[in-house]
Amino acid sequence: MRKIILFFQIIITLLPAALYAQSRTITGTVRDVDGFLPGASVVEKGLPTNGTVTNTAGKFTITLKGSSNTIIVKFVGYIQQELHVTGTHIDVNMTTNSQGLDEVSVVGYGKTTRITNTGAVSTINAADVREVPTANVQNTLAGRLPGFFSQQSSGQPGKDASDFFIRGVSSLNSGGNQPLIIVDDIEYTYDQLQQINVNEIETISILKDASTTAIYGIKGANGVLVVTTRRGKTGAPKINLRVEGGLQSNTITPTFLDAYQSALLVDQAETNDNSTSTNPKPLSFSANDLALYQNGTDPYGHPNVDWYNEIFNKYSYQTNANLDISGGTDKVKYFISGGALDQNGDVKYFPDPRGIVNNNYYFTRYDFRSNLDLKANKTLDLRLDVTTRFSDLNEPLAEGAVGQIYDFTTETPFTAPYLNPNGSYAYAYSPFNPAHLPTLNARLASGGNENSKRTDYNVLFNAVQKLNSITDGLTATARVAYSSTEQYTAEIAPSDAAIPSYHYNSVNNSYTLNPNGSYVFPPYNQLGQTDIYTNDVNIQLFANYDRTFGGKNHFTGLLLFNQDASTTYANSAIILDPLLVGVPAKYRGISLKVGYDFDGKYLFDFNSAYNGTDRFAPGHRYGYFPAVSAGYNINKEKFFNNLFPVFGLFKIRGSYGVVGSDYAPGNRYVYTQYYTQGNGYNFGTSETDYKTIYENSLANPDVVWEKQKELDLGLDMNLLKDNKLSVTFDYFHNVRYDQLITPAAIPAVLGVGLPAVNLGRTENGGYDGQVGYHTAIGKIQFNSSFVFSYAKNKILYEDEPQPAYPNLARTGHSIGQPFGYHFLGYYTAADVATIKAYEAAHGGSNAGDQVVAVPDNGEVIQPGDLKYQDLNHDGVINVYDQKAIGNPNLPNTTLGLNLQAAYKGLSVSVLFQGSFNYSFIVTGTGIEPFQSQFQPIMLQAWTPANAGNAQFPRLTQDPTTVNSPTFYPSDYWLVNAYYVRLKTLEIRYQLPTSMLPFHLTSGSIYLSCYNLITWDDYDKYQQDPEVATNTVGDAYINQRVVNLGVSAGF
Amino acid sequence: MKNYKSTILIGLGLITLMVACKKQETFPVDKVTIQYVFDPRDSAGTNALKYLLNIYNVLKNGGNRVGGNYLDAASDDAVSSATGQAVTDLATGTYSSIDLPSDENVWSTTNSTNTFNYWSGIRYANEFVDNIPVVPVMGETNGVSTRYIWQSEARFLRAYFYFELVKRFGGVPLLGNTVYNINDNLSLPRASFADCISYIVNECSAIQDSLVTVPLVSPNSDNYRATKGAAMALKAKVLLYAASPLYNSSTNTNPLLGYTSYDPTRWQAAATAAQALINLNTYSLDPSYLNVFMQQNDPEVIFIRTVDNGTTIEKDNGPVGFPSNLAQGITSPTQELVDSYPMMNGLAITDPTSGYDPNNPYNNRDPRLGYNILYNGHPWLNTTIATYEGGANKPNNGQQQTVTGYYMRKFMGPQETQNNYANHDEDWVIFRYAEVLLDFAEAQNEVEAAPGGDVYAALTALRKRAGIAEGTGNYGLTAGMTQSQMRTVIQNERRIEMPFEEQRFFDIRRWQIAPTVMNTPLMGVTINNSNGNLTYNYVPVLTPKFTAPKMYVYPIPYDEVLKNPNMKQNPGW
Repeated sequence: MRKIILFFQIIITLLPAALYAQSRTITGTVRDVDGFLPGASVVEKGLPTNGTVTNTAGKFTITLKGSSNTIIVKFVGYIQQELHVTGTHIDVNMTTNSQGLDEVSVVGYGKTTRITNTGAVSTINAADVREVPTANVQNTLAGRLPGFFSQQSSGQPGKDASDFFIRGVSSLNSGGNQPLIIVDDIEYTYDQLQQINVNEIETISILKDASTTAIYGIKGANGVLVVTTRRGKTGAPKINLRVEGGLQSNTITPTFLDAYQSALLVDQAETNDNSTSTNPKPLSFSANDLALYQNGTDPYGHPNVDWYNEIFNKYSYQTNANLDISGGTDKVKYFISGGALDQNGDVKYFPDPRGIVNNNYYFTRYDFRSNLDLKANKTLDLRLDVTTRFSDLNEPLAEGAVGQIYDFTTETPFTAPYLNPNGSYAYAYSPFNPAHLPTLNARLASGGNENSKRTDYNVLFNAVQKLNSITDGLTATARVAYSSTEQYTAEIAPSDAAIPSYHYNSVNNSYTLNPNGSYVFPPYNQLGQTDIYTNDVNIQLFANYDRTFGGKNHFTGLLLFNQDASTTYANSAIILDPLLVGVPAKYRGISLKVGYDFDGKYLFDFNSAYNGTDRFAPGHRYGYFPAVSAGYNINKEKFFNNLFPVFGLFKIRGSYGVVGSDYAPGNRYVYTQYYTQGNGYNFGTSETDYKTIYENSLANPDVVWEKQKELDLGLDMNLLKDNKLSVTFDYFHNVRYDQLITPAAIPAVLGVGLPAVNLGRTENGGYDGQVGYHTAIGKIQFNSSFVFSYAKNKILYEDEPQPAYPNLARTGHSIGQPFGYHFLGYYTAADVATIKAYEAAHGGSNAGDQVVAVPDNGEVIQPGDLKYQDLNHDGVINVYDQKAIGNPNLPNTTLGLNLQAAYKGLSVSVLFQGSFNYSFIVTGTGIEPFQSQFQPIMLQAWTPANAGNAQFPRLTQDPTTVNSPTFYPSDYWLVNAYYVRLKTLEIRYQLPTSMLPFHLTSGSIYLSCYNLITWDDYDKYQQDPEVATNTVGDAYINQRVVNLGVSAGF
Repeated sequence: MKNYKSTILIGLGLITLMVACKKQETFPVDKVTIQYVFDPRDSAGTNALKYLLNIYNVLKNGGNRVGGNYLDAASDDAVSSATGQAVTDLATGTYSSIDLPSDENVWSTTNSTNTFNYWSGIRYANEFVDNIPVVPVMGETNGVSTRYIWQSEARFLRAYFYFELVKRFGGVPLLGNTVYNINDNLSLPRASFADCISYIVNECSAIQDSLVTVPLVSPNSDNYRATKGAAMALKAKVLLYAASPLYNSSTNTNPLLGYTSYDPTRWQAAATAAQALINLNTYSLDPSYLNVFMQQNDPEVIFIRTVDNGTTIEKDNGPVGFPSNLAQGITSPTQELVDSYPMMNGLAITDPTSGYDPNNPYNNRDPRLGYNILYNGHPWLNTTIATYEGGANKPNNGQQQTVTGYYMRKFMGPQETQNNYANHDEDWVIFRYAEVLLDFAEAQNEVEAAPGGDVYAALTALRKRAGIAEGTGNYGLTAGMTQSQMRTVIQNERRIEMPFEEQRFFDIRRWQIAPTVMNTPLMGVTINNSNGNLTYNYVPVLTPKFTAPKMYVYPIPYDEVLKNPNMKQNPGW
């Protein structure tokens, strides 16, 4: 039958247009990327009364009566389309519109629309990010949500989730800036969020101001990320299958100098050091050595190994598969899904000598979700959501394989050959590697692995009772949610570090066993432990009220009781505070939300919470957090509409309120003093180890939550025909006070640790927003949006003792502001002569020299060393000469530009994301000579010959000189950075219905890419621009992913 | 239908209530409060004792204490073999109030897990002293109630902590028995040096008779507690310091840094205090010098900081080139220290009649040279040390090795003839009888117009034990020395008897010789081996720097001066 229809369709399509009559019937389908859209409205242009809606299979039939030959297709949350119909069948592909008038934003315990919203909310439809090839939902949000700031500092499979913040950071209390995460109205942890499969998600919102976060009260001050999951819709079972596979590669691949160039630089550094030494050393590499490294004729005596390429693959694969089934009847609706993700790491396979152990990084995850909605009777709705996530994370136990590649003391190109001529492992046989470690390939092959298996469960049971018998519009809801997480880590470790490795002497063809080696591989030990077990029980009871009186007076209300108890049992290695373990952390509160609007024109909302936690002493546990907000839809005023008919929406809104943060650093029980078991002390004739007790940090019985006053002023506009252009703009100003910080002005004579005290105060202000534009040129649909976020904070008070010099003051700067020296240039020979003359005249001290200052570390300054500014003019460079340099590591500006074009079934979507105004510095193995392998930039180190265009200070073996960024952080080393990324690219072809084989109802193939191209502006470091500052650059580099997928619907 | 609905609602409500009302602990069950530590019902004083023992934990183990080095590597006795070391900053004067090396910043280095600065120790002692009276501890020793003994131990430790602060910073705030809280006025002024000394001395005097005495009544529980001997040794040492030229001076005008007048009776007080301890006849020199640091319950040891058994000292300081042990050889004794050891006959090597052979410089020397220092040719691990250029223990291959040609021998097990390092006791000796003899000799020499037999006797006892030849009876000491000659001899004897014991760093300050010895290059030896013919060249290895008078004391840490308007910084910092 189907084939016959198809045949007729083809025939009909091929019929000439001239056959068309004035009145003709056309059929069609309406789809989005997930498949058919039931319930979309289709009307004929010019004849608004001639319309229909798509059926449960997304199909429609309409008889055109007018002359326009054009239909208009509309669906809430999608861009309206006008299509000229030439045939009798048409497939309509709808794209989502995040700025439409009816677009629903999910807020706490409810929904709002673009028209009625009075707070600062940003929402995206998860369908837009579902195909982004990354494991973590938070990695997909940068540049898409105004006010969302994130940093992805690792690309390691399973550990690549971004840190994220809403409207930047406000708290001095490190760890006190994490947004609250709410999934289906239940609080999730960071870890739980990163386990969620994006395929299960319907929408993602961030709540940014007091009016939207006040109902979370004591937990709302850092903003809230709200996720809702997909639910079944009435209709026939809809099955979606999506399978994709991709290649991951480093966003930047570090290159290191070869053996010859490295040896040259070693000699260069030694020559430099000898020039001031009382005890000059012979150079490590003779001219003969250099020649052998250069011509490679002695590959075992003078090896030259490119370790990076020997250890790492250029590409690693990842695969992702998702299957979901949804549908329902009036009584039962269901959404059931399963997903499997497998990400491989980039370490090559080194055959384990015993063939037992997987030495690579990998991450696999299986997610299952069943969301059921049951209509028990006319007034009672039940809901049961069950979800589990199983993950498996593997890493080599020779951990930091990524970092060791940089480490000069373990791997250099001349350290050792990759393998000896007889195939045995070599060990580091170089004066720079006294520990004689076996080569990295040997250690990876025999070093064992660490494997973490984690299981998350979430169950939510929900009952909604309509109480129309009391009054119309009233419902009561009871909800119980249970979640639990368990993680078990197993370690396969060699029982002894000694493995067989040999030094091959190419002169006499002999092998010498590593002095720390053994002739046989040691057996493995298997160790395992439960790292973490958590459970959480959350009970919510609430009443909802929503009723309109007299057609115009619309009232809404919510009264919520919320109680939560979560317990963590953790291995002490993970959570250092033993008091956190095993005792439930409790939270309880009542929230009230009241809304009124008159005819959608004047909008008022009042949100508040009275809630508290047991982190604080009885009597200090509960706080009250109110917020008010109002909106004015000016375009609903006749005069405005007459003056500016171009506006489909013109709304101003504002909110003001107080929210809190209950995160207290360190001891969970800041309010009580406790005594802790200390190290044992040996006593008695036989020196028995006796137990001891000591007084832990003092208590602060008055400790309370941090508070934040939040002001938000917003503007929402839709304009032009069909609301083609939409604008949202928010200005905000927050003051965070009573911040929990450790007092800094208490003298050490007190003799004991200090508790957190409500002392700190900061302000944070900025703006964020979004401009959206969509249009159609011919049959091509264009949709674009530009997202911008700016948030800058300032420390107002942090109990800082009066600094000796004003340049040292941290108050007044941003949180995390780096301090360091200011680079003036390289010391010249003339500078050194000046210093010598001054010291000779002043008893060997340079103190007071106004001309050239010298670091006070006792090192002799040489030409080519970094010269820093002597801010206090005392002739000495020391901590007093530091000042604020650069910006904090977290960008204060982030931009996103999303462009989409669709032509029939073909669509292209790109997201450019940029972060600006941030700084970072890399130290140690990341950049310092003789700690890091030699990097190309070191070829441009200062020498008398290239003094004019040096890009790197004089090379030295001494790790503590003024040239070290570890000991002398400065703006020479600090990179003021920005980056712009082609964050995602997606090209999709949706097959026309006519081409679908079997019984498929939809099918598409797509290419999606992540981190495809990066533009940045520094060349000092071979690091991804999102690298965490002050690290030694050993993070697993962020990955670029090129991914190919197919999806099919039945 | 109606029933169905209500059943579900009631069911939900019941679940809710069950979960909500389940009895859960509201506080960690393993949490301990002060009422539990000082429990008025605990006649065994179990937890109070644990608290007291933790005060002992504040005592520091001097082994490789300062950034991995011995403090003596900041004096003219040794240098560090590694670059960028905190002790080198101390030796070269490259530190200030902002970057005083953290291990020597015993004032304000913050607690990491169970490492405490001395102000913590003083606080804990005060808390113990104040609270122990409520605990009805039973028992007594030598007629003193256990509770009072414990309290006295805390007071002893407190006095010791004050001394450690005063010898580094000068006068410090004296807290008495007050346990301060965060809201108290903590802007405490520094007490004068004189007040600090008299506080410490008075505390020692007040408690010494209530501490346990040697021989112990119950060694199984009391060994290594602070004893009467420990209190007397502390008193003798504090009085000796107070009488020393740095503090006992009429030219000093700053009462925080010393007395403002010279008083010869201070020497008498120091001599008397040391004499009192000698007269107890409780302690005696161990016939074996090496055993003092190796052996538990040694007759010479008065007070220690106990440390677990192990081979940590060997791994940190043992000579490089014994591959199976990966020893780091971080401590390089100087040529100056080596040269200060006399010959076996007791005569200084500069004495033309000593028999010193520059071509065979380690031959026939005071045995303490070999007990304290590993030199080329010294037997070790069944072989002999080879620190000539390119030798097994100075391979010159780029890895860390001795910079002076010497390694530290002291504190390591008797491992000359063993195949490998073996675990041994690594207790850190704080007071030993040899020091008391030296304290006495030094003070008594200043009391008498010319050194008498008692001064000679103290020194000859040490030299005899060391193994120096008796000779004509004086173990190489010239008879009839003047006070000044004897002073030089005593200062040298203190140096060679107690190197690496955290004495020299403070001795060169209190004797005010630091400006001399710490402003000339420190020397090492390079030995060239040409077919077994050794030639010795002496080379500078480090140019130390000492700025007087500024560096006689450390700066008060920068932050502490900012936090406390009454905190006077030391002059020059």
